[in-house]
Amino acid sequence: MIASADLTTQIYQVFIKATPEQIWAALTDPDLTAQYFHGARTKVTADHYLALSPEGETWVDGPVFEFDPPRRLVHEWRSLYDPEMAAEQPSRVTWEIEQQDGGYVKLTATHDKLDHAPKTAVSVSGEGWMFVLSGLKTLLETGRPLAG
Amino acid sequence: MDDDRVFKALADPTRRLLLDKLFERDGRTLTELESDLEMTRFGVMKHLRVLEDAGLVITRKRGREKLHFLNPVPIRLIHDRWIDKYTAGPSAFMAGLKTALEKEDQT
Repeated sequence: MIASADLTTQIYQVFIKATPEQIWAALTDPDLTAQYFHGARTKVTADHYLALSPEGETWVDGPVFEFDPPRRLVHEWRSLYDPEMAAEQPSRVTWEIEQQDGGYVKLTATHDKLDHAPKTAVSVSGEGWMFVLSGLKTLLETGRPLAG
Repeated sequence: MDDDRVFKALADPTRRLLLDKLFERDGRTLTELESDLEMTRFGVMKHLRVLEDAGLVITRKRGREKLHFLNPVPIRLIHDRWIDKYTAGPSAFMAGLKTALEKEDQT
């Protein structure tokens, strides 16, 4: 995929037939994240965000800036799964969960403050976050991980 | 959520052009987006509104400016739902041939 010229702020949004509580659980429960987040198991507390690989290596590790279940989660992002990206400045991921009519929830993931993390910006753009969000939608709506 | 809105939003050359412009560079103001379109500000606003309703464009305020961001997820979902299953086999070959020939044409 050709990268967009300015990737310092990236916004991804999806409507999911679920409750805000289910979305929150999907973001913070390691048994659920393992099914759509490249196998990562997250451990999220009010002040700390950790994502571990299936083998237990640290993929993302940083402070939580805002913790407001089941509405808003803001945490630091550093791509520790790659040495070059790990050396870049930290960026920020904001999850917003908004209830909609008809039993839907609008989930918005904003990855910003990527000004000093160009490799990370390219790596997470497009397919990166889209894969995570469509996997999350499929998991919550069908109870099964995305095939393939 | 609403495939109809996405298909309708995409069924217009100006709106597809606006998406391409945001793909080239994300987070633009209305003034930036209208600058190389032969259309009134009001016309561009109307198209952006349709894209926003379809979830293909998301706006964020920054100071007094309103920035427009491309949200590619609805297109991805349509791809997964409608295109994936039809693109295997002969149709993938034909599409590849078309791309290759058109590329050759340009050089």
